Amino acid sequence: MLLYVVVAIYYGSIAFCVIASIVRLVKFTTAPIHLRWELYRGSSVYELTDWWTRPHATFLGKMKSAVLDILFLRDFYHRNRGFWYFLYLFHLGIYLLILWHVWYLIVPLIVSIGVEPFWDMVWGHVSTALGFIGSLGILAKRITNEELRAYYPRIHYLKWVFMLLTIFGGFYAVHCCFGAFMPSLEDARAGLYPPSSIVIHALFSSIWLIYLPFSHVLQLFFKYYHQVRWDDVPNVRGSVMERKVERLLSQTVRWSAPHVPHGRKWSDCSSEQGQGTEE
Amino acid sequence: MKKRKTRVGDIGKNRDEQLITITGEDAMSLPPPLDKGDCQQLVRPLTEEQRNDYESSLDGVSAIAIPKPKSKEEEERLVEGFLRGLRKLLSQNDNWTFWQQLLLSLESCVRCQTCSEACPIYISSGKQEIYRPTYRAEVLRRIIRKYMKKGGKFFAKLTGDDIELNWETIARLAELAYRCTMCRRCAQWCPLGSDNGLITHELRKLFSQEMGIAPREIHELGTVQQLNVGSSTGITPRALENIVSFMEEDIEERTGKKIEIPFDREGADILLLHNAGEFISWPESIEAFAILFDAANINWTLSSELVGYDAVNYGVWYDDVQLARIAIRQAEVAKELKVERISVGECGHAHKALLVVADRVLTGDLNIPRESALPLLEDLVCNEKIKLDPKRNDFPVTLHDPCNMVRLMGIVEPQRRIVRKLCPQFREMEPHGVDNYCCGGGGGFAIMSSMNFQDWRENISGRMKLKQILEAFQDVIDPSMHKYVCAPCSNCKGQIRDLLNSHGAWDKYGILYGGLVELIVNAMVDLEKPFIEWEWR
Repeated sequence: MLLYVVVAIYYGSIAFCVIASIVRLVKFTTAPIHLRWELYRGSSVYELTDWWTRPHATFLGKMKSAVLDILFLRDFYHRNRGFWYFLYLFHLGIYLLILWHVWYLIVPLIVSIGVEPFWDMVWGHVSTALGFIGSLGILAKRITNEELRAYYPRIHYLKWVFMLLTIFGGFYAVHCCFGAFMPSLEDARAGLYPPSSIVIHALFSSIWLIYLPFSHVLQLFFKYYHQVRWDDVPNVRGSVMERKVERLLSQTVRWSAPHVPHGRKWSDCSSEQGQGTEE
Repeated sequence: MKKRKTRVGDIGKNRDEQLITITGEDAMSLPPPLDKGDCQQLVRPLTEEQRNDYESSLDGVSAIAIPKPKSKEEEERLVEGFLRGLRKLLSQNDNWTFWQQLLLSLESCVRCQTCSEACPIYISSGKQEIYRPTYRAEVLRRIIRKYMKKGGKFFAKLTGDDIELNWETIARLAELAYRCTMCRRCAQWCPLGSDNGLITHELRKLFSQEMGIAPREIHELGTVQQLNVGSSTGITPRALENIVSFMEEDIEERTGKKIEIPFDREGADILLLHNAGEFISWPESIEAFAILFDAANINWTLSSELVGYDAVNYGVWYDDVQLARIAIRQAEVAKELKVERISVGECGHAHKALLVVADRVLTGDLNIPRESALPLLEDLVCNEKIKLDPKRNDFPVTLHDPCNMVRLMGIVEPQRRIVRKLCPQFREMEPHGVDNYCCGGGGGFAIMSSMNFQDWRENISGRMKLKQILEAFQDVIDPSMHKYVCAPCSNCKGQIRDLLNSHGAWDKYGILYGGLVELIVNAMVDLEKPFIEWEWR
């Protein structure tokens, strides 16, 4: 029975993670369009005399940049190398662990080829070690560096301790319960009362999955959401963008300072005459 | 004795004490010949009367001259006003203009402090905690968590991230919103995309749009005057006619050319918008544009309509309503003149405001093509549409990158190609391009000089730029050799003028400043004498 409860919680947390992430993404991406406020890493279309007739940066170009940033944490590498070392070890470990789990979940269902169990274990343990060293290093840096400590919410230290426990728990469960090889899904199902180390690790992982949609991981994706970071989509006459802008300009202004025409539409207050007069 | 570091929670404590005092010992050292150390007080203290009347308990500086409340009731009213404004700032409907970026910036910071090393003010001040880009953002986050979220007060106590919200917190936060130039170098550096410059912008907006608190130079003498009189400089259309007549005479005197500066020419290809400050402080820039456009046979015009002869839009620094009003008025002028496009002269924030930010304010036939004048100048120079001789510019030149044009718009190369082609002794500042440092006058600072604020921007916010300029000219620092800092932006020029002047850089080291277009005209082969006059102004 316990196995079914644990499986339900674990897969439930995966479902929650996916649904909550989608809800957050939808909420964020369907928010009103904003005024443009982009940043550039180099030359842009504005260097051309007739820029409004030229194509802007392509979606693929933006994606490439985003993927490289996320995979290698390039901004940390270039701007904050001292922080990058442990952060990258941690991320590399987590990326490899995710792939490892995906490997075990998906590959047996698709193909019948197997990999030498020894290499499976190497993959898992190296990833775990990287994640553990990385998170331990980050925690140590967060504690010992006064500059970092001053702004870091205390509760977030617990997060790293919990991360260490989760990673170590994973190692313990895999290494001590399964020895030199991972069991197949069928084998695991046979035992209705799995070892407590497995149960605890699954529960810890579930907590992380539930937390994930509210963490900075999703924020990192928002950074690259093209309408935020490099929103150079121009407002062209007759376009969908123009219709959105017109809708927003028809909203009522509710700010209260004397120079703001409270209660009027944005479009009215923007185009009225003598609008600068203090009322 | 080691000074105690200011903490985030300190902002609402010790109401009668200044949080910090900056001395020359704290500040970042400058390169030779200014490396002897300036241990004197960098910022003059306010007079006792000023201290009694205005809030200055942040750092002893008053940028916005906020009067002290006269009673407890007034204090409470102001605190209520702040919380009301904060609710609007966090509302999708009230703050549709920047809600999405604000939320992203508030939620995504991981407190890695990568941004701190990017901030010229934080570094120049000797790493004063209150100038750290994350300081004001963290204050705002804690206020939001405590006063806008359910159970916030309980959790603030529990987590130790408590903050007191009283009038002093608000007054200090208002001043702190004017210790950041919004150069957004920190945002460029942030690995998570958190934009502390935007948080500064949103704080300024809250104070202006809800509480009516804004620097007089930016609001009353800035946007309000521009909308009512025609220009933030106070130049009326009638005064403008006289100034332009004078400029036509001056062009003839300097070049022997009789050039008519076109006004209100209907159907022109280009409506050229200058920062009106140029008409008063740097008329040679406007004259140079007229000389170039005349030589290149460009069909252009200026406008004499209200707002139509002033490119500035100070709204971009503090108030979305004022931003929209000015941008719409500028577009209306262009529409009435039936011009093909608007070209913005050498003014960085006007570029950003009219070309980028206001793009989603202008709809229908007000959505007229708008461009920077720099690519047009590049076309004239690099495609050799005008005869130019680089030998005429054979003096050391360095280039300042205005943040609004470069990092915030990606106009990086046109000005470089021009200077490389025309100035044999060109040398870059380090760093440059999108990694440049702000001149220290961004976000409205260049036009602000309330009480002792000018001291602060000459010695703190502009210190990094002064360092860069001196380093660029280290090998030619002898005053007998004239040197030129090219700054293609009016506000940057104003700030660099004040920086060089306050450190005696013209007299002692022969460093002059000016725009880009003057360098181009200076190289024109058909001018008998150099256009650049080596005298301080």
